[in-house]
Amino acid sequence: MKKRFVTKSTVSVSSLLVMAMLAACSTNNGTNTEQTQSAAQPESTAEKTKISYWSIDRHDMDYMQQQVDSFNATNTDNIEVEMKVMADNYNQAVEVAFASKQAPDIFRSGDFQTFVSKGYYAQLDSLLSQEFLAKFDGLLVEDIYSKDGHVYTLPNSGQFWRLIYNADLMEKAGYAEPPKTLDEMVDAANKITEQGKSAGVYGFASNFKNGSGFTRPAFASGSLSSATSHEGYNYQTGEFDFGMYRDIASAMRQIKEDGSMIPGAESLDIDPLRAQFAQGKIGMYVNHSSEPAVYASQFPTDIRWASALVPTKDGQMNGVTWVNAGGYLGISAQSDKQEAAAKFLEFLYGTELRAEYQEKGLGLSVLPYVSEVAGKPELAGIDGFLPTKYDGMYPVTPLSITDTKLEGKKFTDVFIEYILTGKPDLEEAISDLNARYAKALAAARAEGLTNIEANPSFNAASLQGTLGE
Amino acid sequence: MHKNRIGAYLFSFPSFFLTIALGIYPVLWALRYMFYDYQGYGTPRFIGIGNFERVARDAEFWQSVANTFVYAGGKLIITLPLSLILAVILNRKLRGRHIFRAVFFLPTIFSASVMSIVFYIVFNSYNGIINQYLLKLGIVTEPVDWLGAGFAMLTTIIIAVWGAVGNYMLLFIAGLQNIPEDVYEAASIDGVNPAQRLWYITIPMLGPVLQMIIMLAITTSLKGYESIMVLTEGGPFGKTEVMYLYLYKLFFPLTTTGSSVQNIGYGSAVGFTTAIIVGLVTWMYFWLSKKLNNVY
Repeated sequence: MKKRFVTKSTVSVSSLLVMAMLAACSTNNGTNTEQTQSAAQPESTAEKTKISYWSIDRHDMDYMQQQVDSFNATNTDNIEVEMKVMADNYNQAVEVAFASKQAPDIFRSGDFQTFVSKGYYAQLDSLLSQEFLAKFDGLLVEDIYSKDGHVYTLPNSGQFWRLIYNADLMEKAGYAEPPKTLDEMVDAANKITEQGKSAGVYGFASNFKNGSGFTRPAFASGSLSSATSHEGYNYQTGEFDFGMYRDIASAMRQIKEDGSMIPGAESLDIDPLRAQFAQGKIGMYVNHSSEPAVYASQFPTDIRWASALVPTKDGQMNGVTWVNAGGYLGISAQSDKQEAAAKFLEFLYGTELRAEYQEKGLGLSVLPYVSEVAGKPELAGIDGFLPTKYDGMYPVTPLSITDTKLEGKKFTDVFIEYILTGKPDLEEAISDLNARYAKALAAARAEGLTNIEANPSFNAASLQGTLGE
Repeated sequence: MHKNRIGAYLFSFPSFFLTIALGIYPVLWALRYMFYDYQGYGTPRFIGIGNFERVARDAEFWQSVANTFVYAGGKLIITLPLSLILAVILNRKLRGRHIFRAVFFLPTIFSASVMSIVFYIVFNSYNGIINQYLLKLGIVTEPVDWLGAGFAMLTTIIIAVWGAVGNYMLLFIAGLQNIPEDVYEAASIDGVNPAQRLWYITIPMLGPVLQMIIMLAITTSLKGYESIMVLTEGGPFGKTEVMYLYLYKLFFPLTTTGSSVQNIGYGSAVGFTTAIIVGLVTWMYFWLSKKLNNVY
């Protein structure tokens, strides 16, 4: 009797455990969901075409929900959109959703190469009208938005890179205008430090805790200087040439040698850097157009700050400052409601909606049809980030895939070591990097991991004026 | 009897299922891919031992292995004696010993990542509290960059020791409580001093417990990377890159490092190699401690 009871209870407990586990395993695309915002819906839902929309943007969550509600209330096709704002690890969440056939119908685009290679995207050129796609003429860069003649995602907002400076410190140092050449930048950093060091004020900072401490200033200045290259890759020759960062690396080394770099830059992260800048302790640094929102809410500041195009070696601008504007939305290749999703996508690209989005300071558009009509964003400090003649979107480079084949130190570590310690010798370091990246790129090409080849006719000057005047 | 056996099987099923799904399957999955060139999409390409040849000549990886030994060695050399001394002290019938034990054990229950963020603030050079005190006391004239190239490894070791001492102290206390009191009484009649007591009685009598604690400490230290990831991300320029962090970045590239493509094939080979290294060190430790057991 006792044994029977033991066995029965054992069976019950085990069954409960297994059920609990299965329930945990079967959690669908609600997993990882930070916030689900379901629109208030009218009564007759039976005939509605329901589509799910995944976003990762938290900063525009309320505004986008309003737009979704408005679409749900006004669209004549009886489409109902449910928006979900996802938490971190978005790429993994999308991966799980596609693997389990529970992908959202329309979603915020992630890593393009991965998403397109895994077949997540539907081809937009067969879902959207030619008239609609014509609005993106000249912008649909291969390997960022399109591949092999098909469009998979579209641009929207972008990050515009600038030299961000403390205007008071700059004026005190004798500069009525921000530096235009790298020598001026080194000199300004030096003068700001001379005047402010006793109060803990230093001329320049970058977040060398990780590689972006180098790439933030280097990608912006290097690309603006060069007519041929971006991310260390020369489009004309189809090879890496890190010589494009010789000048900016030397300038930052000089700043370090002069003692004008904020102490602790070696372990500085971007947020502590911003906190120090907000307190008036930093003269200059390089970052993108998120900064106005950061200083409006995350680190509110009373200092007078502004932004300008990054300096180049001699003030000459042979290319453009890169604008990173990845794809915005994709439609699921697995969805059986692609047409409804496409209608919603077209709604989200409406001129008025996008202009209002920019005016509210939620993001700077890279779409000329939006820039033409959008008013000035309601955000202090945003003026300096608005698209200029010298902002542009570069074709994709094979840097990421080359990194997977690279043996030895990455270029960011090599340059950061040089800036902080003066070692190794810069010329030797550049030629060693060129040789190792060439070998890695050759391996990636041989295995068919990239089909990016030399484009002898490439000229970055032709990108000037594509996003602004 | 038969029904009892069914019960046993049913009870063990959940943990058996979890072990297979979360323990064995991922290992088999990684074992397969270490012979492939695979970036997480497309068709994996079989390359035989190509990934292992790359591991052999990957100076970055071997530098991270060397860094791991410095990190783990530094952590063990400080943690083990310190936690033993604390255990011996707090094993006495002192007033408030339970409070002290709880205080020393507290770091163990905190999340390593969260505490690393706190330590990042404490150690930073522009307004960190450590530098503020050092400057006020006149010990230094300029702020020290505790997380810069010169001191980053030392700082990460100190933080690791802070996190580990309480845990090992508790294990030592458990071991100490198994040593019969009469051995100490006999020794005190013979007139031993506290140092002799520790060296000739406590440590030898901890025996197998000590052996287990050291083994645990070795494997945990070799595998540790979480706090380093938060504090320095392995930087500056690779100075604190330990092997498990190097491995982590191959599977989950940090967006701040630029690359966003996974390196699953090579990562699997590196993962296998790191497992072998940790296994070898543990085996060597067992072999050595067995030899020493035979000698003494």
